Amino acid sequence: MSREDRERMGRAGGSGNRKVRRGPRRFTISMQKRLVVVFLMVLTAFILLAFRLILIQRDNGRTYTMQVLSQQEYNNKSLPYKRGRITDAKGTVLADSQLVYNVIIDASQIMEKDEYLEPSLNAAERLGINKEELRAYITKHPGSQYYIAFKNLPYQDKRAFDKEVEEGIEAEQEAQRKAVEEAEKAGKEASEAEKVELVYSNIKGIWFEDNYIRNYPCSTLAADVIGFTVGNNIGSFGLEEYYDDTLNGVPGRTYGYLDESLNIEQTTIQPTDGNNLVLTLDANIQSICEKYLKEFNEELKDHKHKGNGSNNAACIIMDIDTGGILAMASEPGFDLNNPYDIAAVAGMPKLNEKDAPTTSYMTEGDAQALSDADRSRYLNALWSNYCVSAHYEPGSTAKPFTTAMGLETGTLKKSDKFQCNGTLLVDGTYINCAHLEGDGLLDISGAIERSCNVALMQEAMKIGPETFCKYQNVFNFGLKTNIDLAGEARTDDYLYQAEDMADIDLASNSFGQNFEATMIQMASGYCSLINGGYYYQPHIVDRITSPGGSTVQINSPRILKKTISEETSDLIREYCIQAVEGEHATGKLARPAGYRIGGKTGTAETLPRGNGQYVVSFLGFAPADDPQICIYVVLDRINNKKQDEAGRACILARKILTEVLPYMNIYMTEPLTDEERLELEELGLYDTNKPSSEEEETGDAQ
Amino acid sequence: MFGKKSNTTKNRKSKKAPSALARKKSGLNDYSLLFIVLVLLAFGLVLLYSTSSYIGAVEQNDSAYYLKRQLVFTVLGLGLMALISIIPYRWWRYLSIPGFLGAVGLIILVIPYGREVNGAKRWLDLAPGVSIQPSEMAKVAIIVLTAFIIELIGRRRLQTVWGFLLPMVPSGIIAVMLWKITNNMSSALIILAISFGMLFVACPDYKRFIALAAMGVAGCIGLVTYIVRTADQNNMGFRGGRVLVWLDPQAYADDTGYQTLQALYAIGSGGIFGKGLGQSMQKIVVPEAQNDMIFSIICEELGLFGAISIMVLFVLLIWRFILVAGNAVDLYGALIVTGVITHISVQSVLNIAVVTNTIPNTGVTLPFISYGGSSLFFLLAEIGMVMGVSRKSIKAEEEYAQQMKGS
Repeated sequence: MSREDRERMGRAGGSGNRKVRRGPRRFTISMQKRLVVVFLMVLTAFILLAFRLILIQRDNGRTYTMQVLSQQEYNNKSLPYKRGRITDAKGTVLADSQLVYNVIIDASQIMEKDEYLEPSLNAAERLGINKEELRAYITKHPGSQYYIAFKNLPYQDKRAFDKEVEEGIEAEQEAQRKAVEEAEKAGKEASEAEKVELVYSNIKGIWFEDNYIRNYPCSTLAADVIGFTVGNNIGSFGLEEYYDDTLNGVPGRTYGYLDESLNIEQTTIQPTDGNNLVLTLDANIQSICEKYLKEFNEELKDHKHKGNGSNNAACIIMDIDTGGILAMASEPGFDLNNPYDIAAVAGMPKLNEKDAPTTSYMTEGDAQALSDADRSRYLNALWSNYCVSAHYEPGSTAKPFTTAMGLETGTLKKSDKFQCNGTLLVDGTYINCAHLEGDGLLDISGAIERSCNVALMQEAMKIGPETFCKYQNVFNFGLKTNIDLAGEARTDDYLYQAEDMADIDLASNSFGQNFEATMIQMASGYCSLINGGYYYQPHIVDRITSPGGSTVQINSPRILKKTISEETSDLIREYCIQAVEGEHATGKLARPAGYRIGGKTGTAETLPRGNGQYVVSFLGFAPADDPQICIYVVLDRINNKKQDEAGRACILARKILTEVLPYMNIYMTEPLTDEERLELEELGLYDTNKPSSEEEETGDAQ
Repeated sequence: MFGKKSNTTKNRKSKKAPSALARKKSGLNDYSLLFIVLVLLAFGLVLLYSTSSYIGAVEQNDSAYYLKRQLVFTVLGLGLMALISIIPYRWWRYLSIPGFLGAVGLIILVIPYGREVNGAKRWLDLAPGVSIQPSEMAKVAIIVLTAFIIELIGRRRLQTVWGFLLPMVPSGIIAVMLWKITNNMSSALIILAISFGMLFVACPDYKRFIALAAMGVAGCIGLVTYIVRTADQNNMGFRGGRVLVWLDPQAYADDTGYQTLQALYAIGSGGIFGKGLGQSMQKIVVPEAQNDMIFSIICEELGLFGAISIMVLFVLLIWRFILVAGNAVDLYGALIVTGVITHISVQSVLNIAVVTNTIPNTGVTLPFISYGGSSLFFLLAEIGMVMGVSRKSIKAEEEYAQQMKGS
């Protein structure tokens, strides 16, 4: 028996317990019961925990599963690609993506040692990060390894920073090495050498992540045509939207995975950059157009009412023999680098609930006060490209088309003559000519020269609805031109079908009322009237090149159809020249100094009739003898008491052509008057000291 | 007196432990207990390999690094268990005071020689690559010593204030030391819980325990309320912060709530049958996946089914312990088993509660499954002691049966 046993027995005896036991104390029934209580408590705890597990699964299973998967994504980092560049025909960059950097802070590295903190924070401050905010973040999240502290740091800034740090570290290492050398000279241990104060070497936990931002160097130039990007890589409007897939590349990826022997393999798939667009558009021609559109807008701004010079002022210049767009401009424009600037909306007509323009106009205050939904309606109206997205009644610019179809089908003859008494009774309605006094007896050429509605109506009656509608289709009215721009309007609902075309419809259609077309339809069709009947698909991208610069695809000019014969085309060209040069010509004002051109004016009443609102235009070609370009200027509801002034469109066309033709190296063929010479001198287009050979000739002739 | 004794034995035999009798012929070992322990160990090794292969490959360049080490400790631990089970357990009484002093000494040694891991100084290096956690050893020492003290004091005197407080003194000392020296509150709490559990079983009345439990619950609620109220003053230590994380882990997702939240993601994404063994995605993300948080990876890989299976294994193990305690021939043996019961149940319940964010985060490992040599080694030593108690009771039954035959 052990000592303790004996002691215990003694004590047990001493406490008056009479039951002297031989063996050690037993584990009693009550204790066993209490053990069962313990077991039940444990069992209850486990059951509750099992319920807790089931609840977590039931309530959060889905979100947690998604969370786990999304974290996998996070571990696999996506590398950005560079979206393709857009350049004009001469190589001017209109849109490109610039490499910038996001500054990433690894708090865990900075917090590793106390001496890292200040130098790192100071370095971060130099990168434009708020030092105290960063300090607060780091102290609060010392384990964080990925915190984007600054976005879109320019490349130069990053390079300057890298260089400074690199040189700083080198200098510090050099200083430390010298200190050690000196200490050794003095016979001391290297460890006793004076410690150089480390600043650059203690910069930790700052690194850079590539990123690209879209940049538009010419900001407002051709804004409607180019479009912009949302979130950097989603194209919105214009080329950015139409060629979104071409411009976008494939993002790269780095990811770690476990191989068979469970080693971690880091693999990087490099991103593929997007392809570039080279346009047929010429930034110089474009900026000439925009300059004069803007000038016009400024001139008539707040003229009759508060607001822009017109609801829309637009100009297309096309290569007549390829269908390539040389310029496509419209006012009001916007800044591609800041497309959401609502101030640009001021001056636009207010929109009704169907997004159609009304006769009241936005002030700057109105623009700022727009609700979010309205804001996007107005911005969409601003961003949309008037030249392809808007349709309207073209007016008298349609007259060459009517004449062409008559001549082409033989229903009209060159020698046909029509009498105009100022008005014509059709289906019991008198339809007036522009000249109520009557144009008298006109031949076909004269009808176009004077823009006589009555003559054209009689022509259309001879042509008949069947042929008329067929030829509208031939000229691509009602069909999309499929120009490579986003947002081209459908116009098939705004055309008559032959079977439900009444005489009055045919009559009004003959001079461009009562059906609607887009600017690009008019311009493309007109090119075919002038160039011998070849309908080219209008296009704005000349070719697509790879990121390395090699050509991937060429958009060579595509003839879609032959609209009219060479002979008819020759006639139409002649008539249109007459409509600018003739004695009674409506388009006289459009002729630029030193050139002969052809063209047709248009003055279209808008709906409802008689509201005094007009769309005026000039659709022409230049030069007259060897047509190279087609120009179409449209002024939608001029801010003027009297809106039906096609002359304004002609003047605009003249101003644009005066600069564009010399720029395109098209030589002047006509003598200049003194007035014209002065005008050109003012523009810097006529050098008195060094006159061109042609001007010398004309000078001699005078 | 003999009659009475035999009566109680008979009573117990027929009602509580038929299985113990059924195994009479098959030797002296408690094979059901051994079987459950071996299943838990095997389960644990497989899951440990699954969860630790990634971090092993990354940090040690050997995906089986953790498995190999754990295997070594498992084999050593099983040897120790076998050895302890055949040593008569009453001998431990003589070792209880030296054991306690040894534990205290080791904890003090942590102050100068301790090795810091993850910001906490809890390890003592014995040889290169071999280190122990004194807290794990302290748990065994406390079980042995508290059982001895309670036996000494006797049931009656346990009802006096001093009799009640005395068994708590050694565990109190160790708990304070663990808390203050190694900053290991969870181990301190477990050690207090062990002796408290033993006291609960040994004491004849419930009232004071109910009162203490009520006070404890009230204290916890008060503390949590206080921490939440003063949350914005930012002057509490990391424990206060853990309470805030517990209440809203999402708010601290990037720093202090990261581990808890990632563990919850793992549990939530497991579904009923899990993603399959080795298919966990979260083991790369959850900090200490092979350690404190292994249960979350079990949930992810084996689903609710696997998780509840593990819980059932623990319940079976504890039920086996209860039977052994009930059959124990003396109070000391029964108390040792009670201590082991409290240790394993408190630790496994706490671990699962932490992983499921049922209670604030505190570093507790899951017995037999989490990676950790010391923990496994001393746990198997405890199992060895329980098997020793079981062995003695089987032997006693056999002797009694022969006596009955003889008479």
